[in-house]
Amino acid sequence: MPARRTVISFGIVLNLSVSCQLCIAQPVNASGNSYDPTTPTPRFEDGTPILGPTTNSLGFWDRGSGSMVGGASYPPAADIPFKPWAKALYDYRQETLAKDDPHVRCAPPGGPRQFAVPFGLQIVQAPHMQRIYFLSGGSTRPWREIFMDGRNHPEYLNPTYFGHSIGRWEGDTLVIDTVGFNERFWLHRDGFPHTESLHLIERISRPTYGVLHYEVTIDDPQAYTASWSTNWDKLWSEGEELIEYFCQDNNIDQFHMMGNESNTQ
Amino acid sequence: MKTILNKFVSFCLLSTSFLIYYSALAHHAFSAQYDADAPIHLTGVVVKVEWLNPHAYFYIDVEDPSTHAVTTWACELGSPVTMQRQGWTRESLVLGETVLIDGFKARDGSKSLNASSVVIESTGQKLFSQQARQPNTSK
Repeated sequence: MPARRTVISFGIVLNLSVSCQLCIAQPVNASGNSYDPTTPTPRFEDGTPILGPTTNSLGFWDRGSGSMVGGASYPPAADIPFKPWAKALYDYRQETLAKDDPHVRCAPPGGPRQFAVPFGLQIVQAPHMQRIYFLSGGSTRPWREIFMDGRNHPEYLNPTYFGHSIGRWEGDTLVIDTVGFNERFWLHRDGFPHTESLHLIERISRPTYGVLHYEVTIDDPQAYTASWSTNWDKLWSEGEELIEYFCQDNNIDQFHMMGNESNTQ
Repeated sequence: MKTILNKFVSFCLLSTSFLIYYSALAHHAFSAQYDADAPIHLTGVVVKVEWLNPHAYFYIDVEDPSTHAVTTWACELGSPVTMQRQGWTRESLVLGETVLIDGFKARDGSKSLNASSVVIESTGQKLFSQQARQPNTSK
């Protein structure tokens, strides 16, 4: 329990401070660049929102507005409809300080994790291909493909980190339906479990130039007794390109994950 | 007594700020690898720099003043991506430089730490500080 208290108390301090940093820092990014926060949503000629850089701009989606690691925002554990085994696993991951997080071993960030890992996210729309791509600046620098051509999910799917995503526009909101996930990643560093039954509905919009609104509904009848939702914003980093990053380059840390055990004394 | 208290409060504030920053940006949970209750201060000579992702490391030789035995410590920094965005480069830390390190020991008892403060002894310049973007003026 002492370790658990550490996580909780640290989380409270983290919440307050990161929120504060974001309030002060926006819309100036880590490189000192800024933009006019009243700039409206950029659009293609047909009116479709542009979710990435425009012709005359540089930038990517950086920190999240949420108070949790990676700028995410999730409900308190008490409000999440865990099945008993999922709650026990979540508690274990909390008590061991996320030492087993696959992200530390450079596993790709599936589902909402892609919107809550460091080093940026780029969105590339390719209307001529009827696809949208989410490019991660961090992790293993992976990319995710969203099919916008009206296809359905295949009858058989080999489970993967990003699953099979089909998208459509509802007004200015991109709605993505994804199935076919494997179980080899965590939805967030907090350790919410999932199974191969995971089905996500994500709703993504850009209400202004500098804000990407992300909503996700998590439906996994093997892990949760009901579907549940959360949302947060991603904030634009003006005038920067994604810098090359590969988690595998010199990942010494993975061999030193001790959780709440300690040999330092 | 007041001085000690002030130092303690400053240390706590700096440590908290560092831990918050680290946890928000790092690819792993700080507390799973390092012990926030095990602060450490070392003075050593830089012998190796690894400006690599996911975290930059540098290594210092620390001499025991009584026995003159030398121990090499591995010091973890943030990601080169983050530090580059703040204006730092791998040349910011120079081999042979004596540095003052404040940080936190690894939980596994290895000679490694997470560096929350890196100061060049000869100039007093603080490296890799996240509080303000600074141009690289070290060398």
